[in-house]
Amino acid sequence: MTWISDLLGPFKGFAVTMRQVGKPRVTRKYPQEKRVKPPRFHGRHVLNRYEDGMEKCIGCELCAGVCPANCIYVRGADNPPDNPVSPGERYGFVYEINMLRCIYCAMCVEACPTEAITMTHLFEMSVTSKEDAIYTKDELLVDPDGTPNHPQAESPLIDVKELRLGDGWMRATSSAGRAEYEGVVAWTPQARNPDLPVEAGQSAESTGGDDG
Amino acid sequence: MPDTVSININGVAHDVEAGQRLIVAAESVGEVIPRFCHHDKLEPVGKCRMCLVEVEGPRGKVLMPSCTLLVSDGMVVDTESAVVKKAQEGVLEFLLINHPLDCPICDKGGECPLQDQTMQWGPGESRFVEAKRNFEKPIPVSDVVLLDRERCVLCDRCVRAADDIAGDPLLTFIDRGNHVQIQTFPNEPFSSYFSGNTVQLCPVGALTSVDYRFKARPWDLGHTRSVSFVDTVHSSVDAQTSRGKLVRVYGIENDRVNEGWLSDKDRFIFSAVHSPDRVTAPLVRGDDGFEEASWSDAMALVASRLGGYLGGEVGAIGGANNTNEEAYTLAKFMRSVVGSSNLDAQLGDGLNPHLAATVTPRATIDDLDRAATIFVWGPDLKETLPVLYLRVRKAVRNGATLVVASPAGTGLDAIAAHVVRYRAGSGSDVLRKFASGDKGYEGAREALDAGPVVGLVGRSSLAEDPMMAEAAAGVVRSLPDSKLLTLLTRANIYGALDMGLAPNLLPGRVSTADDEHAEMLEDAWGHLPRGTGRSTTQMLEDLASGAMRAMVLVGADPVRDCPDPGLAQRALEAAEFVVAFDAFVTDSSIHADVILPAAVWGEVSGTATNLEGRVQEVNASVRPAGQARSLNAALDDIAHLMGVDLRAAKVADVTREIAAVAPAYAGITPDHLTFESDGDGVIVPLEGEQPLKFIPVEVSVPVVTSRLTLHFPDALYDDGVWNRNAPTIAGLARQAEARLHPRDASMLPVHEGDIVSIEERFVMPVTLDDTVPVGSIVVPRNVVGTKGLTASTSVKVEAVEGGA
Repeated sequence: MTWISDLLGPFKGFAVTMRQVGKPRVTRKYPQEKRVKPPRFHGRHVLNRYEDGMEKCIGCELCAGVCPANCIYVRGADNPPDNPVSPGERYGFVYEINMLRCIYCAMCVEACPTEAITMTHLFEMSVTSKEDAIYTKDELLVDPDGTPNHPQAESPLIDVKELRLGDGWMRATSSAGRAEYEGVVAWTPQARNPDLPVEAGQSAESTGGDDG
Repeated sequence: MPDTVSININGVAHDVEAGQRLIVAAESVGEVIPRFCHHDKLEPVGKCRMCLVEVEGPRGKVLMPSCTLLVSDGMVVDTESAVVKKAQEGVLEFLLINHPLDCPICDKGGECPLQDQTMQWGPGESRFVEAKRNFEKPIPVSDVVLLDRERCVLCDRCVRAADDIAGDPLLTFIDRGNHVQIQTFPNEPFSSYFSGNTVQLCPVGALTSVDYRFKARPWDLGHTRSVSFVDTVHSSVDAQTSRGKLVRVYGIENDRVNEGWLSDKDRFIFSAVHSPDRVTAPLVRGDDGFEEASWSDAMALVASRLGGYLGGEVGAIGGANNTNEEAYTLAKFMRSVVGSSNLDAQLGDGLNPHLAATVTPRATIDDLDRAATIFVWGPDLKETLPVLYLRVRKAVRNGATLVVASPAGTGLDAIAAHVVRYRAGSGSDVLRKFASGDKGYEGAREALDAGPVVGLVGRSSLAEDPMMAEAAAGVVRSLPDSKLLTLLTRANIYGALDMGLAPNLLPGRVSTADDEHAEMLEDAWGHLPRGTGRSTTQMLEDLASGAMRAMVLVGADPVRDCPDPGLAQRALEAAEFVVAFDAFVTDSSIHADVILPAAVWGEVSGTATNLEGRVQEVNASVRPAGQARSLNAALDDIAHLMGVDLRAAKVADVTREIAAVAPAYAGITPDHLTFESDGDGVIVPLEGEQPLKFIPVEVSVPVVTSRLTLHFPDALYDDGVWNRNAPTIAGLARQAEARLHPRDASMLPVHEGDIVSIEERFVMPVTLDDTVPVGSIVVPRNVVGTKGLTASTSVKVEAVEGGA
C-alpha cells in the first residue's frame, strides 16, 4: 500500500502548515519593526571620554589581554606633557577592534580599569570588505561632547541613537560586581594628589641623565 | 659532598646544604617564602620583612627574617602559621600604604612581584585611606633608566646591584623614616654600564627602562632564549618580542657564564635589528649608485664573477658576527668552491688564531671563582667584555688577588691588589721585569706565584703588537697551576676561528699544516687548497697592489676596524669585485659591487662559541628584515649556481656536518645544546683531545722608542654601525679625547680642555690624566671623531692654535 501513503504525503506536510496559520506570529517585520533589547545587550563598543573631554583609555592593553577572540589591538604611548590625551602618563594611541572576530562577550568591558570601553546596543554593522570590519580609534572614540561615531550613516537599519544605550553594564562590571563600586573608576589616573605638595628631593633637571 | 644539616619545615624534615640562608634552603625543597629584597646574587639585607617565618628558639617560636638567617641543624621552621600569615599581610598592607595602584599603566604590571605576592599572601583590602606619597615622576636617572619613586618599596636591590655587583655606587637612600626615598647623587646621573640590570631586578615598577616604556605588556611577549652577540662572553639572554618585533632583552641566570647580569649594550643594542637603515633587498652597483635587484640576479652576478677568478685572487674577511653554522659554510664555500685559503674573521685587530682558538691550558669563566690570583694583561675589561668584568669583580669580592697590567687606567684598577702600568709600546720591558720579580714588582710577582692563577690575556689596544699578548701568555703559562683565557671581543669570533675562518686554521681547531686532517677534510668537501692563506692585513695589501682581485666581506667593516683604515679604503677601492653580506651600508660595504642583505642576530638560528670554548644555542626570535637571508642559505644557493652542492641550506644539516668533520666539535648533538636539556651549553671538545694545542712560550717583543706612543683602546659605546643604529645607546657613543700625562701636556704645551691635532687630521680636546704613563697618549678607538685614525705605535700630536 505504499502508493496510498505516497499520495497522502503532501497533505501530511500541509497539515503542519495549516496548524500554524491561526497562531500569533513570532517573527517581526525587521527592519520596520525592531525588538526591544534587554538593558545589558552586547552590541558595538565605544571608547568613552571623561566629562572634561579627556580620553578614558590609558592604553593598558588589559582588554586585549583578556579578549578570548584576540580581536583587540592596543598600543600605549607617553602622553604629551603639554597636551595630554588622557589623565596620567600613558594613553592608547592605537586602538582597533576586529568586529568580525569579536564574539561580543564583554570581557574587555569587565577588564577595563577606567570604564573606557563599554558596549552599546548597536549591532547592525554589515560591511562590504574585511578591512571595514576593523574599527579604529577614530570610529570607536566618542566625540569630546560625548557623541558617538559610526562609520555608516543613519538609515532604517542603523539607528545611531542605540550607541548611547548600554548603561546596564556598569553594575555587572563594577569592582567585584558590588553596587557601591558602580561608576567608580577602579584606578587612580595619577598617583599624585594635586592638593599635596611634591616631596622634596631631586627633580628631573638635577639628575641630569646625560652621558657618562 | 657538601655538609648537610637537617631542618624541619612545616612538620616535614629535610636535609639541606649547610651554610645557606633559610629562604634559599626552603626554596630548594619546594617551600617558597615570599620576598622582595632577597635576591640570590646579592648580599642579604633583611630590609623588606616579607620573608618572616616562625623559628623555634630557646624562648619559643619567634618571627625571624629567613633571608638573613643561616640554616642550622635541628632548626624547626613554620612558614604557614597564623602568626606568619598575619605578619605577611601586615607587611604587604604597609608596603601598599604608599605604593600607587597604577598597575594598568606600569611597565611592571603583569610580571610584578608586588602584584603577585599581594594576590597570594596579601590581606585583600587595605585600611589606609590617607593620601599616598607624591613625587615628581618619572625622573630620568640616566639615559636608559627612569625612576618613579612613589612605586619604590625600598628593598635596596638596585643599590646593592649598583654598589656590589657593578661597582658604581650611584644610587642611595636619602632622608629618614617616613621620608626615605631612593635617589641618585646631585648632578651625578646613574650612568653605569650595568644600569639596565636594576630595571630587571626591581621588584616593583620603580625603575623602568626608557627603551621599553609603554611598548608592550608582559603577557603578550614572546620569549626566545639565546646568547648575546655584543661580545665574546655570550651572556644568556631572553629575547622578548611583541608583534614580530624585539622589544626587550633580559638576562638569564646562566651561572657558568653571566649569572643573569648583562651590560647595557647587551640589553639595548637589539633595536638596531629593526633599524630603518637596514639593507632589506640585494643592492647591485649600477651607473649611478646602488640599485635594488632580485636575489636571483644578484646571486647569479656574484657566482659568475667569483667563478671567473683564480682561487688565490679572492679573499674573504669577516664572519665574526655570524653563527658557527654560517661561519662554517663560509669557510667551506671559500675553500672548496672558490678554492681560496684567504680567509680571516679577524681584521688585524686580534691575536694569532692559534693562540686565541687553541690556547692550552684554557680556563673557563667559572675558574675565576676558584682562582687565588687573577692576572689581566690586555684590554680594559669594563669597556670590552663588561660581563667578564663583573665575574672578575665577584672573584675579587670573594678573596682573589687581582693583578692588572695596562698602558692606562682601567675599570679594574680600583679593586686590583697590584696595578702594573707601562708606557704603551714598552710592555715587553715591563713584562720581563715583572716576570723576574724586579724591584718594584715584587708584590705582583708574589701574588702570581700563589696559584691557582687565571690569566686573562689579550691585546690592550690595536696599537699594540699582537705578539705582546703571546709574551704575556707565555709568562702565565710558566707559572705553576695556571690557566689562560684569551680576550678577543667581537661577537662569535671564537666560533668563527673554530670553524676555520683564519688563514692558518681548518674547522675544528686544526692547523692548516696538519696534513692528516686536511686529507680527511678534502674527502668530505671534495676540494681543499693546502697551505696557509693570507691574513686580513696581507689581503688588503695585496688588493691594493693588485695581487688579489676580489673580496668577500661578511659583516666586516675593515675601513673602521682595521689597524690601518687608509689601507682598507685603498684596497676596497682597488678591488675589481667586492661582494658584501651585510645588514647595513657601512664605510666598507659602500665600496661593494653587490650588497646582499644579511640576516643578523635575532633573525638567525644556530650555535655559537664563546671565549672559554662554550658552545651554546643561538635562536631566532623575529623574521629577517625585508629580504634578508642567513649566510649559509645564501652561500648554498651561490654554490649551486657555481655547480657545487654545499648541503648548507638547513642549519641542522650544517650543525651535524660540523660535528662530523670538525675534530674539536666531534660528538656535539642537538641534545647537548638545546636549552631545555641543561641550559648552559657545553665546552668543546667534549672528550678526547683537540688536534692543535697552542702552548704559549715567553717571546720577546721589541720596545717602541718614540717621543709619544699611542694607546688606542676600544670603548663600550663606540661609533660602530650597530651602536649608531640602536637609538637608546646611540647617544652614549664616546667622543674623541686625548688623555695625556700633565708632564707631556706641559711640553706641548697644552692645558686641560685645549684642542690638539693628532696626525694633523684628528682634532680633539685634551684631558690631563696622571694615570697615563709619561710618553704616551690615550685616544679611544672608533668613537665619534677618531674614525680613520691609524693604529700606529706612535703618533704626532700638536697643539691647535686658539683651540681652547
